Amino acid sequence: MRIRAQRDDLADVLTRANRAVGARTALPVLQGLLCEVAGTTLRVTGTDLDVTVRTSAEVEVMEEGRAVIPGRLLSEAVRKMPTGSVTIGVSDTDIEIQGNGPRFTLRPLTVDDFPVQEDVVADGVEVDGEELAEAIGQVTIAASGDGARPILGGVLFESSDSGLRMVATDSYRLAKRELRGVGLEGTGLVPARGLRELPRSIGAAKVTAQLREREAVFTSDKGMLRLRLIDGNFPKYQSLLPESYPSQVVIDKDVLLDALGRVTLVAEDHIPVRLKLMEGGVEVAVTRQDVGGETEHLPGVFEGAEDEVSIAFNPRYLQDGVTAIHGDSVRIRVIDAFKPSVIDSGAEDEFLYLLMPVRV
Amino acid sequence: MGEPTILHADLDAFYASVEQMLDPSLKGRPVLVGVGIVLAASYEARAHGVRSPMPTRDALRLCPDAVVVHGHFEKYLDLSSQVMEVLEDASPIIEQISIDEAFLDVRGSTHLLGTPSTIARCIRARVADEIGLPISIGIASTKFLAKIASARAKPGGLVVVPFGAELDFLHPLPVEAMWGVGRVTAANLHRYGIMTIGDLAAVPSGAFSSSLGPGASGALHALSWNRDPRVVRGGRRAGSIGSQQALGRGLTDPDELAVVVLGLADRIGRRARKKGRSGSTLTLRARFPGPRVLSRSHTLSSPTSSTAALAELGGALLRRAIEGESEPVTLVGMSLSNLSTDDYLQLELEIDAGDVLRAGSTLDLKRRALDVSVDEIRERFGRDLLKLGSAPERGVAPEEFRRLAEHSD
Repeated sequence: MRIRAQRDDLADVLTRANRAVGARTALPVLQGLLCEVAGTTLRVTGTDLDVTVRTSAEVEVMEEGRAVIPGRLLSEAVRKMPTGSVTIGVSDTDIEIQGNGPRFTLRPLTVDDFPVQEDVVADGVEVDGEELAEAIGQVTIAASGDGARPILGGVLFESSDSGLRMVATDSYRLAKRELRGVGLEGTGLVPARGLRELPRSIGAAKVTAQLREREAVFTSDKGMLRLRLIDGNFPKYQSLLPESYPSQVVIDKDVLLDALGRVTLVAEDHIPVRLKLMEGGVEVAVTRQDVGGETEHLPGVFEGAEDEVSIAFNPRYLQDGVTAIHGDSVRIRVIDAFKPSVIDSGAEDEFLYLLMPVRV
Repeated sequence: MGEPTILHADLDAFYASVEQMLDPSLKGRPVLVGVGIVLAASYEARAHGVRSPMPTRDALRLCPDAVVVHGHFEKYLDLSSQVMEVLEDASPIIEQISIDEAFLDVRGSTHLLGTPSTIARCIRARVADEIGLPISIGIASTKFLAKIASARAKPGGLVVVPFGAELDFLHPLPVEAMWGVGRVTAANLHRYGIMTIGDLAAVPSGAFSSSLGPGASGALHALSWNRDPRVVRGGRRAGSIGSQQALGRGLTDPDELAVVVLGLADRIGRRARKKGRSGSTLTLRARFPGPRVLSRSHTLSSPTSSTAALAELGGALLRRAIEGESEPVTLVGMSLSNLSTDDYLQLELEIDAGDVLRAGSTLDLKRRALDVSVDEIRERFGRDLLKLGSAPERGVAPEEFRRLAEHSD
């Protein structure tokens, strides 16, 4: 194969496909990007078997063909070429990248070793790309990174009354987001790790989503992202959501985030932040035996059966949840110091964050 | 203002003292630990000029009557850990600097335990009575001076340097007494007529920049005026809580071994809880004839001190250790490390609620409640009243208590 294209266009398709390529891979060939040239199109595929990104670009084709080229090296090399057009030429033994002076010579990987990519027809429901990216950002914060609990590393996709529901939990917190009017068929546990790559690999104004038997497929005019579904049953999360809360406080989101920023100066590690919900707002305090502490009162609207209610949280978990809220205010609903609290925007909203307290 | 609060506690001739404790016939005799190289020498041997390290051959030339022993290193670690536990009872601000010495800052404990020298006397008595080892303690206003004071206290003594008397204590001492002044530096200073710490204090800072280097020269000068800003860095004891059980000629029956593991989990869990500590790494050692030792460990995502969790994890580690082994296990040891203080417990949503290894799960909370009740009962009525379930002939089977605790919510 032999192609020529503008440096920036090439760098873009290569870098985005390379997002699927892991630093450590099961097979050496997975360090590579599969580049296929046919007609006037360059198609680039990167995969770690669980996450697959395919991008494409229209290029000037001198010779058709295919090759597997070390992914990080290729995308970095192209990015560092002088501006202007770049040529990639592949012979049996070498890959040549050149343009306006510099010339890289790379060794190709074996094309036949690259896992066969079954073609899928872009089918499914159309989703607003910005909304999908926002929802992914909101729910993936609650997914677990603990390799010993693979199921909790997934985001549950299921259909709900209003559309598509996405849920993730690491067993300390749970995030739930509704995408109204998205009629996605089926249910699936989509790996959070791959989902986080969606905005940066194929993010676009419109994204088509499809749940197949073993994978979730997202397509846009930027390319295709395929995520292998996680096997297993997601916890029955519905029963975890409390039905009523005796106390709640509504406060300004930015005021709370600023306060939590100050709190985390003191509260490293596992030191919890203590909230006291009371008439007039909430008192936020942190103390650390050998360091000191910080305390402040945030104005807000409190409703509750008791005069005040105290609860403690991991400050980072609380910060994650509050950051994920869209809107100007935050509502924290509390049962007691040992039961899950719910954080949302206060309006009957699409997003909800359930957080278990820290026992102090 | 009261007394200074920094303690330096240092076990006397630690390895050699342990050998004398293990074999009372060695008491009062010169003992050398280490064949080939002397790693430690008892005070009786030091009186003959033996120092460590030194080739054993040379030591025997100085002290022909000395008894040379191999050393029991596991025992040293175990005893060191026990001593550190005694020290931790005196203050949470403890910085262990080697196997046999640690700094403590007791300023937060004086309202409960008395003056620093009372605390020090109590530590010395407990280490002597409960563990059987001599320990010396220095008390001063800085770490530097406390360390010098404990060296002056040896063997088996206590030296307090009161506020205001620091320089009177420090300045007459030879420069070699300073932490960081070895033979070479001392010889260097002697050439300029600097024999005592007072001599060093009298020359301007930086006078020895050319011979000692500007950093060392300035540091020594500051120390000669007892200027040492270093604080006791508490909570940094890497440490572990461990226990082991020798099994005579050995056990092969997995059920019998499981009972041993349960007993160890019970002991470790109780000690950890008493100290208000939890650990996330459990290591199990199994010894086979030979002797051959296999070790297995696992790190949890969140720390625990629950007997049930330690028993469950220890059991799993034991099964891995003896897999495919036909020989009997002659000793089982378990130790809990990666310790943290356990004031806080992140609770879990009701997912995997029945997993006792998940700290903060529903079952874990019930088991912890059980631990608290068992600890209280033992505290009040003695340890022997309650033994753990798999040995019913030894007392009340706590499975019933477990059920009680689990249904008490």
